Amino acid sequence: MSITRILTTIMLAAFTAMGIQANVLDSVKVDVRLGYTVGGTLPTRIGHEIRGINNFNLGLNFTIAAEATLPLNKRWALHSGLRYEIGGMDVDSRVKNYDIEVVKGDESLSGVFNGNVRIKSAQRRISLPIQAAYNLSDAVTLRGGLFMGWLTHRRFWGWAYDGYMREGTPIGAKIELGTEPGDRGDFEFDQNMRIMQWGLDVGADWQFHPRWGMFAELTYGFNGLFKSNFHSVQTLRPMYGSLGILYRIK
Amino acid sequence: MNRILSNFAGYFKFIAMEQPRVKHIYNIGTLAVLSVFMTFMCTSCFGDEPANCEADIEAAVLHVNDPESFFYQLTDSLQTVMSTDTAIVFTVKGNADVTSLSPRFTLTPGATIIPANGSTHDFSQGPVYYTVTSEDGRWTRRYSVKVVPTFHTVADTLFYDFEHYELETASDRYYTWHNVLSDGSLGNDWATANAGYRISMSTAKPMDYPTTPLVQGYDGAAVCLTTRDTGPFGKMANKRLAAGNMFLGTFDIQIAMSDHLHATRFGIPFTSRPDHFTGYYTYEPGEFVQDFYGNPIPNRTDTADIYAVFYRNHDAAGNEIVLYGDNVLSSSQIVAVAKLPYVEPTSQWTPWNVKFEYREEIDEELLSNRGYSLAIVFSSSSAGGSFVGAIGSRLCVDKVRLICTTEE
Repeated sequence: MSITRILTTIMLAAFTAMGIQANVLDSVKVDVRLGYTVGGTLPTRIGHEIRGINNFNLGLNFTIAAEATLPLNKRWALHSGLRYEIGGMDVDSRVKNYDIEVVKGDESLSGVFNGNVRIKSAQRRISLPIQAAYNLSDAVTLRGGLFMGWLTHRRFWGWAYDGYMREGTPIGAKIELGTEPGDRGDFEFDQNMRIMQWGLDVGADWQFHPRWGMFAELTYGFNGLFKSNFHSVQTLRPMYGSLGILYRIK
Repeated sequence: MNRILSNFAGYFKFIAMEQPRVKHIYNIGTLAVLSVFMTFMCTSCFGDEPANCEADIEAAVLHVNDPESFFYQLTDSLQTVMSTDTAIVFTVKGNADVTSLSPRFTLTPGATIIPANGSTHDFSQGPVYYTVTSEDGRWTRRYSVKVVPTFHTVADTLFYDFEHYELETASDRYYTWHNVLSDGSLGNDWATANAGYRISMSTAKPMDYPTTPLVQGYDGAAVCLTTRDTGPFGKMANKRLAAGNMFLGTFDIQIAMSDHLHATRFGIPFTSRPDHFTGYYTYEPGEFVQDFYGNPIPNRTDTADIYAVFYRNHDAAGNEIVLYGDNVLSSSQIVAVAKLPYVEPTSQWTPWNVKFEYREEIDEELLSNRGYSLAIVFSSSSAGGSFVGAIGSRLCVDKVRLICTTEE
């Protein structure tokens, strides 16, 4: 994959640059992180069509990361690393006049749906952040920058249920969807998801002990979760938030 | 480039000499990040409820001063309108005065109708057209409402030749059939489940549907019923096949997915006493019968259905009764059944002639008041309702005759 090549090149370039003077490496701080992650995807806006959330399950997701900080001066530093994020969501919402397309293989059924929609997603992502870090105090660092991400596992599926669809347009045939598999409208959009993501990455570290600290991280994708030619569901952005602990190994 | 890097190296050296000092402070920055988290978890920020975009007449009711002398059955005054229908027909007694009637309509919530709901019109000059506009004003539907005075006629023989078929007008995706009424006009008594097949197989061409015309039948065109694969959707839903079917009645697409056995509403009001029914068929069972899960059932050959059922269309409490896929041969409302015991596989046009077996006497008054319904049912796989059958089983039917007698 081209993304692995890009990541390797960036890392190699960084290490080569650091390798120019041994002193540089001495000043690098390295830590490992373990965080609780929420998110995976979020709509860019909650439209009028969504009338309520029946259930919203964030799931038990983790981030593990190895990150490095390259101090530039007393206040500023460069921050990068490699993260492995497991994200997902399970949202059950009540909708009205909701454009929906149910797809399986080459077959599809689209229309306007009134009822309930369950959406589940699961992703595993390797990401590479490149951030500027600012030491607010000796203990607290704020970080901001960009990330590049690569999905190693992607799933997006769900079903429209307990309601009815108007086929094609609001005056098309009314088709009731039941609750059980087979009676409801299932969809699956795994293959329509982008593998590469990039976007904004902000975070903060709080070093409360010489070795131990806490961190918070938020990434927001600039490109949608789905490929640009895909319109079956509204635009969703990859979005991950993590809270966790870090351990400074150097 | 080198200069920049060496400058950086200088900074690094400077910092590296300092000992790290860590303070236990809870910083505002951390709080800010936390609050960003909380914002994304907020789910109570929904906009106003959008206006309804549907524009249906869901039901139509016709109130008259003396319903007993106006309608054959009191339940005829209320018509439930399927979402796919835009023609509403009230069948009334032959001598009923239809020059000044005020039907009322149940509309999609928020929708409006022109002419006004309950306004009075003359229905003796043909249909009256109503236009319904959705609450959001963006969608309209036009309905025709007919009140048809119908004299009770005793037919000797009804002819069903399947010569009148056309692509469904709204979508051009599948065929529908018309019967020829006694005055030569075309009726809509024949129904198929083709509309349901369309839900699962959006890419299917008209001739790939379960019910298709056969241009060269026994005599002119015939109708062919083929058990079809329902594709990836069908597999996902454990509804792997669709038997070809055709029946007198209506198909309710609304519940085709959620309650398929009740989507086939068998029977139309019928005012003659059926005696026997005849026709010609060919039947070629598919290669292997598959069970609900798609596994082949060894040593079993698919079977077809050819039958007619005559039943009382109201129960003792006066409720309207329609027979469905799960009780068309078992309901206690049934008065007579004519069923071909075994549809023997044959590629040659083969005649059948079956007599109605009566279980009770006909009530002549009830008969003339449209109190009985007749269902004729053809299916290419008898167990298709349970999604068991052989894909490719093909039953073709032509020149169907229903011979009626009046009770002596």
